[in-house]
Amino acid sequence: MGMMLMIHPDKCTGCRNCELACSMEHEGDFRPKSSRVHVYTWEREAFSVPMMCQQCKDAACAAVCVPKAMARNPVTGQVELNAAKCIGCKMCVQACPFGCVSWDLLTAQILKCDTCDGDPACAEICPTHALEWVEDTLSAQARKRAFASKLKNAFAEV
Amino acid sequence: MKISYFALLRTATNKTQEEWTRPAATVRDLLRDLVAEYGPAFARWIWKDDELSGFAIVLVDGHDIRSRQGLDTPLTPDSEVFIFPPLAGG
Amino acid sequence: MHGWMGRILRVDLTSGKIATEALNPRLARDYIGARGLGTRIMYDEVDPKVDPLSPENKLIFVAGPMTGTFAPSTGRFDVVTKGPLTGTIAASNSGGAWGPELKYAGYDVLILEGRSPKPVYLWIDNDKVAIRDAAHLWGKDVMETTEQLNAETAGDAKVACIGPAGEHMALIASIMNDMQRAAGRSGVGAVMGSKNLKAVAVRGSNAVTVADKAAFLAAVTRASTMIKEHPVGGTGLRLYGTDVLVNILNSVGGLPTGNFQDGCFATADKVGGEALAATQLQRPRGCFACIISCGRGTKVTNPKYKGEGEGPEYETAWGFGPDCRIDDLDAVTKANYLCNEYGLDTISMASTVACAMELYERGIITLKDTEGLELPFGNADAMVEAVRLTGRGEGFGRMLALGSYRMASHYGHPELSMTVKKQEMPAYDPRAVQGIGLNYATTNRGGCHVRGYTISPEILGVPVKVDKDSIDGKPELVALFQNLTAAIDSSGSCLFTTFGIGAPEYAELMTALTGVPYTADGFVAAGERIFNLERLWNLKAGLSAKDDTLPPRMLEEPIRSGPSKGAVSRLPEMLPLYYGVRGWDAEGVPTKEKLATLELA
Repeated sequence: MGMMLMIHPDKCTGCRNCELACSMEHEGDFRPKSSRVHVYTWEREAFSVPMMCQQCKDAACAAVCVPKAMARNPVTGQVELNAAKCIGCKMCVQACPFGCVSWDLLTAQILKCDTCDGDPACAEICPTHALEWVEDTLSAQARKRAFASKLKNAFAEV
Repeated sequence: MKISYFALLRTATNKTQEEWTRPAATVRDLLRDLVAEYGPAFARWIWKDDELSGFAIVLVDGHDIRSRQGLDTPLTPDSEVFIFPPLAGG
Repeated sequence: MHGWMGRILRVDLTSGKIATEALNPRLARDYIGARGLGTRIMYDEVDPKVDPLSPENKLIFVAGPMTGTFAPSTGRFDVVTKGPLTGTIAASNSGGAWGPELKYAGYDVLILEGRSPKPVYLWIDNDKVAIRDAAHLWGKDVMETTEQLNAETAGDAKVACIGPAGEHMALIASIMNDMQRAAGRSGVGAVMGSKNLKAVAVRGSNAVTVADKAAFLAAVTRASTMIKEHPVGGTGLRLYGTDVLVNILNSVGGLPTGNFQDGCFATADKVGGEALAATQLQRPRGCFACIISCGRGTKVTNPKYKGEGEGPEYETAWGFGPDCRIDDLDAVTKANYLCNEYGLDTISMASTVACAMELYERGIITLKDTEGLELPFGNADAMVEAVRLTGRGEGFGRMLALGSYRMASHYGHPELSMTVKKQEMPAYDPRAVQGIGLNYATTNRGGCHVRGYTISPEILGVPVKVDKDSIDGKPELVALFQNLTAAIDSSGSCLFTTFGIGAPEYAELMTALTGVPYTADGFVAAGERIFNLERLWNLKAGLSAKDDTLPPRMLEEPIRSGPSKGAVSRLPEMLPLYYGVRGWDAEGVPTKEKLATLELA
């Protein structure tokens, strides 16, 4: 059983505190362009969704990485980037189907969520718990339970 | 005595207002009775250690009890009491 | 520099010249940023007697040092200019995400000068700044403009723009950013329209840096905890939004009803925050770096008033609701959406409609004047149509677009306009709450509540409860709130952080961030300096003590019903004491000694 960053877009307010916490944690200043998590907002509908690396089991980024800089750690379940081996070819940026790896020109590095070594700064700062660091087998249970109770209520009325 | 509830107190009591028939001589007596009736879901917003918790607002006939005699403000059977949990600004 | 980026971007729309210059660190220190820094620049560069809609007026977008950091709820910026509605110095504050993006592009300040010969927009992409043709955008509403600009500049660009109301130079036009946030008051949108500037799109990839990281992170943690533990900042605002105030103001008899004829409204609950949460609310929203999340993502499904977006806030719900004697929340929220789409200040728009309703009911204006729009109090359809007409600049909307003072004066009854310095008063009756009335009369941009929000102590009891009907201590209270607010407004911080933290915490954050030592007293003193500078500007623009007043109704007509029945504003008693507290002479002019203390001489 491992941990995962659970995203609850229905709770996201669009504040982007996660981007700031990520850039402060990794770069030491406030620069959302260097954040590994980004929030996408649809202003008309007032809805936002945070996105970061999903730490895929069959990671496309790891599959295309020639120097094996990008590799999955079987113990933690995280896809880790070894910056020393990275040649900056950006094949991982091309390969990720979620668009969650990016290249930062300013610092010449690949940006990918590393869960802050198991203590993600984004989940820590999120004011509404739209980002949650949870056990992966239990991650969806709150949502499952919430919908289950709607079903229960529907039956209770009959 | 007519009592009106606002914001989270509506959720706690499941009412927006009610006719309260049990007599209460002061606001303190009334609030003790309401806390007993509606329990912790109600009390947590306005009542702490037998005192009104900070920033909760109680009006008697439109006047803030803090400009009257606080929790010792007297009540009559015709009093209108409005109770607000801590609120907002803007 | 830390916190500040240290750069000003100056664009002359007449010639097309674009230049950057360094930000003077001494000015940054003494005026902080945003409202204060913008005012200082206006004072140094623009004649206060300038015509606000002429090319000689300047339009300044300015962020604060904390803007772009995660100091809690600090994503704000100001638009500073001479206000066409009021003739005063105007600084309209807004949230959203635009301000931080200006910082990331590398600038603290954007100064717009002159007038473009044809409609244009400005595209700021870090160091690459371009003036681009906007003929294809002119006439589009705020949402369409924003989407189109994201398509033709960058998907992650942040957009500040005017809607059709600003294009028509409605004196109550706002500048909108991120579609749903507003630099609302004083007609700043009309200034942007007068310059033929449709929008400013900005994208940045730089960093806002910190002087003392360890101290800053500790200060942020402390401040965030204090705000989260405060029942208002931590819970109340996220659950119910500011609209929860409707019932509290109504319950003490201070909810202005029917163009301030009365202080309470029988069916106010139908447009309050509880009703909003139960029916239209979809989810809370937060500006950049916000931990309070007071924003309301809402939706109206009623086919008559269908729409979605953000809002209404308290002032909006009050204005289109009780002030117009309307209790239909769907209509109120629709009016709110229309204001966002057309780019109109909701407070001035609503209060202007309420004024028109009173003129109509008294027979001072007729169906001929309103071009067929039936405008008695309570007519929700007509209220919504009035907003639409104002946004489009059509029919009677052309008159409403002038704001209530010029409209009521046109028909011979300026006393029926509920304004101070020609700006509409917000949602607290000065007869029922003495301190806020003194603030309305003396705040430098006219009828405004946020700049001296004594509602906190007078009604909410935050930080402590004071008697709303007493005038004792009110001059001191109002001056203190005005000073602290001016400093907070200049830092990039949202005012709602005051539900949690105070001057010591702001000073600590500012010191750790910028490396410039601020004390609590020094922070408030900077605010006092800024407030006095605004006063000096206004005096030079031609305002005087006679403008520090309230409409006759507030001074002479007692509230008709409810718990505050019989009350009038005791402004005439408070005003001389207020001048004394401020160190001004009997004419409300800052004395030489006061200016010397503030280093303004």
